[in-house]
Amino acid sequence: MSLLLHILRYKFLSFFKTTFDLRAVSLVRGIGSLIVFGGFGLVAYSASYELTLFVMEKTRIGLFLYHRFISMVLFVFFMAVNMGNIIVSYATLYRSAEVNFLFTKPVSFTQIFLLKFLDNFLYSSTTLFLVAFMVLFGYGTYFGYPWYSFLGILIFVLVPFMFLSASVAVLVLMSVMKVASRWGFRKVLVLIGSVYASLVFLFFRFTNPIRLVNQVSQYYPEVDQYFSQFDPGFLSYLPNNWVADFLFFFAKGQWEMALPFAGTLLAVTIGMFGLVLFVAHRFYYKSWLVTFEVQASSNSVEAGRKMKLFDFRKRSLLPPQVEAVLKKDYFQFFREPSQWIHLLLMLVLVIIFVLSIRNLNLGLRVTDVQVLTYLVLYAFGVFLSCSLALRFVFPSISLEGKSFWSQLSAPFDVRKLFLLKFAVSLLLVLTLAILVAVASNLPFVRLTERRPLLMYFGLYSAFWVSLTLVALNLGLGGYFSNFQEKNPIRLASSQGATLTFLVSLIYLVTLVVVVSAPLLKYFESLFFFLPFDFRMIVVPGTIFGMISSAIVGFSVMIGLRSLQRDF
Amino acid sequence: MIELLNVTKKFGSFTAVDNISLTVPKGEFFGFLGPNGAGKTTTIKMMAGLFTPTAGTIKLCGFDTATHPNEAKMRTSYVPDQPFLYDKLTGREFMYFMGGLYKMEKKVIRERVEMMIEHFEIGEWVDKRTEDYSQGMRQRTTIAAALIHEPDVIIIDEPMVGLDPRSAKIVRETLKQKSEEGVVVFMSTHSLPVAEELCDRIGIINKGRLVFVGTQSDLAMYKTRYDGKFESVFLELTK
Repeated sequence: MSLLLHILRYKFLSFFKTTFDLRAVSLVRGIGSLIVFGGFGLVAYSASYELTLFVMEKTRIGLFLYHRFISMVLFVFFMAVNMGNIIVSYATLYRSAEVNFLFTKPVSFTQIFLLKFLDNFLYSSTTLFLVAFMVLFGYGTYFGYPWYSFLGILIFVLVPFMFLSASVAVLVLMSVMKVASRWGFRKVLVLIGSVYASLVFLFFRFTNPIRLVNQVSQYYPEVDQYFSQFDPGFLSYLPNNWVADFLFFFAKGQWEMALPFAGTLLAVTIGMFGLVLFVAHRFYYKSWLVTFEVQASSNSVEAGRKMKLFDFRKRSLLPPQVEAVLKKDYFQFFREPSQWIHLLLMLVLVIIFVLSIRNLNLGLRVTDVQVLTYLVLYAFGVFLSCSLALRFVFPSISLEGKSFWSQLSAPFDVRKLFLLKFAVSLLLVLTLAILVAVASNLPFVRLTERRPLLMYFGLYSAFWVSLTLVALNLGLGGYFSNFQEKNPIRLASSQGATLTFLVSLIYLVTLVVVVSAPLLKYFESLFFFLPFDFRMIVVPGTIFGMISSAIVGFSVMIGLRSLQRDF
Repeated sequence: MIELLNVTKKFGSFTAVDNISLTVPKGEFFGFLGPNGAGKTTTIKMMAGLFTPTAGTIKLCGFDTATHPNEAKMRTSYVPDQPFLYDKLTGREFMYFMGGLYKMEKKVIRERVEMMIEHFEIGEWVDKRTEDYSQGMRQRTTIAAALIHEPDVIIIDEPMVGLDPRSAKIVRETLKQKSEEGVVVFMSTHSLPVAEELCDRIGIINKGRLVFVGTQSDLAMYKTRYDGKFESVFLELTK
């Protein structure tokens, strides 16, 4: 134990020295981050408060339905933390230089595992903690929670919930390592990815929100009742439901009903962590050795000699420099499982989203409801682009790594490199943005009797949003570049990345605010048969374009300058 | 030809390279020596275009690296002290990648790659991804890739680190041969015997300043002032 504390002490010292660096540049950066984080916290707080107010008092869907939606959001949150942890912990537990170093020292495997597990959990969950806590704060303020209850919920509900997710992730990862030595890493990862995508799909299939709304509506006006009979049986075994039920009863002031759910969560988390430690004690070192076998078997001379798609030896119509950089990026991406599997997972989720909403039956001709539905879908689409850009565009310059000397010392203009990365990233983000925009606008085109205005807006927005987010993430990714870090997920959850993500979210909120007024007028004109002045869209559309252009210009300038820094 | 004119590099208040001027003519093998932290790698990185000088001018083959960086780089080759390679590429792919960056035709790249594979005896593992390479394998691949475009100037930082005796011999002979063919070789090293064996001229840098530049005969004269050993001269000059 004292050894563990000794190592932790030096890890904390290193962390504090790098975080609380007193040089002017670092101070300015720190203060900037604090302002952005603080601002973002405030936005998350007020958005959560306003949403709860709106849902409870304007739409009056009732406590039960509201907490079922919260349960669904928590499920997505749980899966996001879980999948993030699986991918990050592979690098932290199995591919880290620190682990190699510690294995040569008289530190037990379980202690090394514990250190890296905590390291991984704290590193990848800090921002999510901030978001989740501020959302909880806004939600709790509406229900008039006493101040000390927030601390209690944070420690006894929120932290265990995320810790449970991380523990499950590591358990899955160690199982993957066990099976990978027999089946091959690629096959196992594809299998795990498919299982996760299926789980998400099945969860939403069995907890169909529309059917739930219809069922609860039959009991109107008794919508505040606890309609547990509508829940599919398996829900009571899911941690997201424990948290949602805890919040439901807590909001009703029924402590005695709420506490068993928190107790269950805490007990399961402790049990799961115990199981993880037990498995790690028995298997961590062995599974660490497996990584070498897996790597050796996946990197053979024979495989390397085979002619591949986009092989460097093949002729190309592209100019040599462009061809060299594109092919290099292609192989670097598709030979790194944490890259292509994450992309595949995101694509699957986008496809599930697109398939789910394209046939959405909006039915109600109520302005507020339709504006809200449109804005939620719109915000989700932009959020998806934000996440995609953060995960794949932000790290792309840093991922050149220490090998970047090869390009910087060659007769190759770095502006060309920036442009190439920009073009490839834009292609990816724009394609998905258009797909989401078309799918989420189709139900509204049907609702508005085939008037194409909203679809045009969706495509216009998809273009600008993609352009802006790619520029922002590439530019700030260059500014905050860290050529020492090889792990794309750690890069995408670094301080610079978090700051970029928060700026992206501020951009998202600005867009929602800019488009909400003309949208409201548009739906009013449709539902109340009023004339619609098309000039209403010109001003917000111009503001939209101007804000986006300003961000693009600023980001590109920063990105290009960052590439000219000393390497 | 390499020309450094009053080159200075500062990092904040710290001066890493202080007003260095030096000319290395065509075909010369120049050894660049100095203790740790003397400014060798900083000087080399400025020549390679990885650092921008705070003051002064660097010309490679007559091209100013500040105003005509691409023309200068086209004729130059740089090998870093740590042979970092893209770990998901094979050694062969890395050489093709470098050839592409130097705008070489595919046919020429193919011929040169085969030649390098044979010359550096790396055929056994050149088709494995570099993530599994040892330090020596990386070093040989990096040097091979650096010579793909037949440069006029080779700037090489600590080439012998991590090489086994056979590989070190191949590298030494290759660099010497290049120098005899008229290529400028600017090599930084900590190995005094290697510098003595290979270099036509030697420069010693200490605390950012050039404290000695001379030919082998100049060095021999210096040595007589001490105990006849290069090591003693080096230690005295870098006190």
